[in-house]
Formats: sequence, C-alpha cells, structure tokens
Amino acid sequence: MSEYIQVQNLKRVYKPSKEVIVNALNGLNFSIEKGDLISVIGSSGSGKSTFLNILGGLDWNYTGDIIVDGKDIKQYNQNFYRRFIVGTIFQQFYLIPSLTVEENILLPTKFVKSMNKYELNKRLEYILKETELTDRRKHYPNQLSGGQAQRVAIARAMIDSPKILLADEPTGNLDSKTGESIINLIKTLNKQEGITTIIVTHDMKIAKQTNKIITLVDGKNV
Amino acid sequence: MVKMFKYALKLVFRRKLRTFLTSLGIMIAVMLMTFILFGMTDLKNAVVSEFSSRFSPQDLYVSGNDILMFGGMNTAPSKDDKEEKSIILNDVEKKKIEEIDGVEYVEPISTISNVEIYLEGDNTPYPLNFIGGSNLPGTHHMYKGFYGNDDTLDNGEIFVSDFVVSFFETTKEDIIGKKILVKSSNSGNFLSTASKSMLNKDYQFTISGVTESGGDAFFINNNDALNMLVDLGGFSSQQDYINTVGYSQLLVYTQEGKTSKIEKYITDDLGLYVISTETVLGFLDTLTAGLTIALVIFGGISALVASIGIINTMIMSIYEQTKEIGIIKAMGASNFQILIIFLIQSAIIGLIGGILGLSITFLSMKLADPFIVEALTEQGFGTLKTFFNFQPLNAIYITIGSILIGIIAGLYPARKASTIDPIQALRYE
Repeated sequence: MSEYIQVQNLKRVYKPSKEVIVNALNGLNFSIEKGDLISVIGSSGSGKSTFLNILGGLDWNYTGDIIVDGKDIKQYNQNFYRRFIVGTIFQQFYLIPSLTVEENILLPTKFVKSMNKYELNKRLEYILKETELTDRRKHYPNQLSGGQAQRVAIARAMIDSPKILLADEPTGNLDSKTGESIINLIKTLNKQEGITTIIVTHDMKIAKQTNKIITLVDGKNV
Repeated sequence: MVKMFKYALKLVFRRKLRTFLTSLGIMIAVMLMTFILFGMTDLKNAVVSEFSSRFSPQDLYVSGNDILMFGGMNTAPSKDDKEEKSIILNDVEKKKIEEIDGVEYVEPISTISNVEIYLEGDNTPYPLNFIGGSNLPGTHHMYKGFYGNDDTLDNGEIFVSDFVVSFFETTKEDIIGKKILVKSSNSGNFLSTASKSMLNKDYQFTISGVTESGGDAFFINNNDALNMLVDLGGFSSQQDYINTVGYSQLLVYTQEGKTSKIEKYITDDLGLYVISTETVLGFLDTLTAGLTIALVIFGGISALVASIGIINTMIMSIYEQTKEIGIIKAMGASNFQILIIFLIQSAIIGLIGGILGLSITFLSMKLADPFIVEALTEQGFGTLKTFFNFQPLNAIYITIGSILIGIIAGLYPARKASTIDPIQALRYE
C-alpha cells in the first residue's frame, strides 16, 4: 500500500496577543496509507483539533507540508479540497435545524454540481440506506436522536464521495451503545468505500478499533 | 445558482415575521415613491390634458403688461425695463400683429372687473366678479362645447358656462332666455385706475348660450364690453377707452409651425407680453419636476431608513447564522457563494417590500380614483375620466429599484458573513 497522506514537519503557531505565542503543532510527522483507518489521540491541548482543522482545510496558516495523493494540499482550491477531498464530521453534529435530513445530507451539493440528478439520487438512496436513515429522510434534526443526528452528519460528509473522512470526537456526545454503532458505521464505510479515515478521539476503546494510533503530546506525535 | 437561490429562500422564510417587518420599511418607501411618481405624472397629465383641451398650441395671448392670470409664466422682460415696456393694446398694436406673417386672426378681449353678477330672480350674487368680452363664437376651440340656438353673441346677449348653470341650480335648457344682471361695485380698485369717474350702474344681458368651459365664465361680445367700460369709466367713446386703457388681451391665432417665431417677434420686436400653450406647459413641466424632485427626496429618505432596517436584520441574521455559515464553509461553500446567499436574502426582502408596496398602492389608486376624479371635476377638470394610470413599466422599474435597495443594503452584511473564519464560526455560541 502506498502512502496516501504524508504529514511532514507540520507546525502551527498562534499569537493570541503580542506577548503570548502558542505552538499548537510543533513538527508533526506521519503518513497514512490509502483506505486506512487510523485514530489520533491525545490529551486536551495536545493539538488534535488544530491538526484536524488543518487537514480538514479549515485552517491554512501552517508551515510544513501535507501531501495527499502525491499533491501538496496548498495546491488545491480550498473549497474544492473541503468539498471533494475531505469530508468532516463533528462532535456537535452541526446539522442545520431548518433543513430536513435529506436536505442536510444534500447541503454540500448546493454549492458545486458534481454529478447529475440521477447519480445524485442514486448516491443519496445508497447513503440513506447505509446510515439507516431512509425512513427519517423528511424528519428535522430536532426530531432525531443523537445517534441519528450523527448518522446524518456522516451521510452529509460522504455524499460527495470524498477521499478522506475526518471524524472529530464522533461519539463525544453519544452514549456508549450509540457511540459503538457510529464507530461501526464509520468502519463499514471505510471498508465499503475504501475511504481513508482519521478519527480524532480521547477514547482509547475507540482508538484500539483502528489500524493505527497516532498519539499527540504537545503538538508532536510520539 | 438555482439551488443557492432556493437555499437563500428557505433561510429568509425561516423567520417569516422578521422578514415581513423588515420588508415593511421598503414597502412604505415604495408606496411613497409610487404615489409621488404616479401621482405627479398623473396630475401633470390631467392639467396638461385639461389645458390642451381648452387652448390650442397655435393660440397666443398677448398683453401690454405682465399682469396676467398666469403671472410669471409669460415671457416677461426683466424687472428693470418693465415700466418702459408697458404698452397700451390699442388698434395700432392690433394691426401690427395682424400684419405679421403667419397670423390667422387677432381677436381683442376686454375684461370688466369688479362687478356683481346675478341671475334674474335670484338674490345670490355669483362668486365671480368679472366678465369677458370677445367676439369669439360659442363653437370656438376655447370653449369645449356649446349649447344654444346661435353661437354668435349679439348685442345684449351673454354666454354662461356650465359652472354658472350648476351654481344657480338650474339646467342649460332652462337658463337660456333668462337675464343676467350686472352691477358695478365700488368696493374694488380696478376702475380707479381706468376710469375718469366712479359710477354705479346696472346692466342686463339675455343668456343665449351655455359653454362647456370647465370653469367660471361669463362672455359678452366685445362691443357690449367696451360700451360698459366706456360707461363705467366715464370715457367719451370706445376709441377713447381703447387709446387710453387698451384691450385687456389680444388672442392671436397663428398658422401651424409659425407660432414660436411669431411669439418671439411679438415679445422681442413689439415689446409685448405673450402667454403661449408652450410657455404654460413648460412652466407646468418645471413646476411638477421641482415638486417631484422634492417629494422623491422624501421618498429617498424613507428608502434609506428602510435600508438601515435591512442592514440591521441581515446583521442579526449573520449572528444567528454564524454557526451555519461555518458549517456550509466546512462543506465547501466559497466566500463568494456565502456573499451571494446573503445578497439573495436581502434582495428577497427588497422584492417582498416592493411587491407589497406596489400592491397596496395599486389598490389605493383603484379605490381613491373615483373620489379624486370627482374632486378634480368640481375644480374644472372636465375632460378627466380617470386620474391614476398604473403604468406597468414604472411598476417594473420600482420593483427593480426595491430589489436594488435590498442588495445595496445587504452588501455590508453579506461581505461580513462571507469573510467569517469557519473555525471561529463553528465555535460560535
């Protein structure tokens, strides 16, 4: 298997004020193979979220290199990268309350046309089936359980068939049973779609279910 | 783009009440603007139509001085030379005008002021104190219509307007043949400058025709008018009066295409004062344009206030949608797309306000129109069938205008929304 993602000497410095400098990431180096399922663990302040924001294309003020599929991510159009290269799911689900399950899932497709209507409907049906949301498609987020809401977030992240799935504490707001089902769903999608998956978590039980664990301490992997 | 539009539509209708209340500001501005633009245009059209129905573009009203009923509208020389240019409109002046190339005819008009006018058997004086004297027939274009057996004014005969008939609560059929009593009055000062002695006299005329002049009017023939003026003023003869005081006005009817040239000649070369249809319409144009500008400024201020309302709403909306902006940015929406989504929202608010304003204005116009027509008809606008004319093209302009106001008001909030940092937005509580 080839190295699909290469993180080389990744650094991120914050300057909240003139006198204060925070080295959130301090020379991170690792690589991930295509279709792999890995976890990133670390205590609070270790740089997990900073790393996820950078890899998720939300923060571009870093130094070092991130190579995805042989190309530096800075060479991508930022919106294209967020749309087609990575799909991100968050601990808080971040669903839009005024949109139905189906509309939330289709939200990314409103901004760039990537497939025709037939293909999009086919993809939607497939995703709804995989995430067991077919009978909830017309429901609004406030009519869903936490587990269902996270499934919607996963479906939304997957609708455009991204290359990398990033999950930021995906079970953080869920009970252990529901959390387990979400991890199983992520594992299933990882296998079925062959999507390279990175789960950021502080839960060792979840981390142990992945193929590789990257532990962050003070902005470095150990 | 269609998907983004639908999404923006969903966002704007998520808060229906706020959207409606914000669009009220635009609605009021649109109503004001519409009433101003349509109202002023319609008022001008009504006045022009009324004026044009009574005066031919080939008519010129010539006076020896600028004390005319349309004071300020004629082509008056400057204040400095007013005194020396005050000319008596006698037969010499009349002849000079008649000899101008393109003049069809010149009709002297003599006005008798400061008289009391009664209908036989009625003690109420008519609320008008002057009579016009001219030899124009009842079928002349300055009357819009005529009722009577003979349209020529013989000595001792008088034409009255339909307003006079209405005032004395009779019909045109019944009023024909009745007498009009004219009494000279000492209360005014008109005769003091034109008379050699002050006399109290009574005169009597038989009504021989009713004119549709759309206003107060009594007309006798010029011979009778001059005889009265001679009698009242203590002049020795009509010629004495004409040479001393002169005709009040001369109605000059010109050949088509020569009116302006003749007007210029009478003004510049003969030193007389002229009122033409063109001058009056030009004055109306200036007047209505001035009024429209003043009122549009008021409308503009209300549009500005409405814009501030939209800005406020959109900024509130940004705060409420901050997390949502973060989400859609994380999903791949570009800054430009966020900008467009917000601009569409503000444009929709503008559009709603525009449509509401136009609808209310349209309904109000339909409801008020008969009352305005009635009121204006009472004021002499006889040709008026409808006052407000809802012009679809103007309605389209106003709708586009209200959308533009929405877009302009949304520019700052939309730009603010588009530049939000997605990480900060997702953390926003």
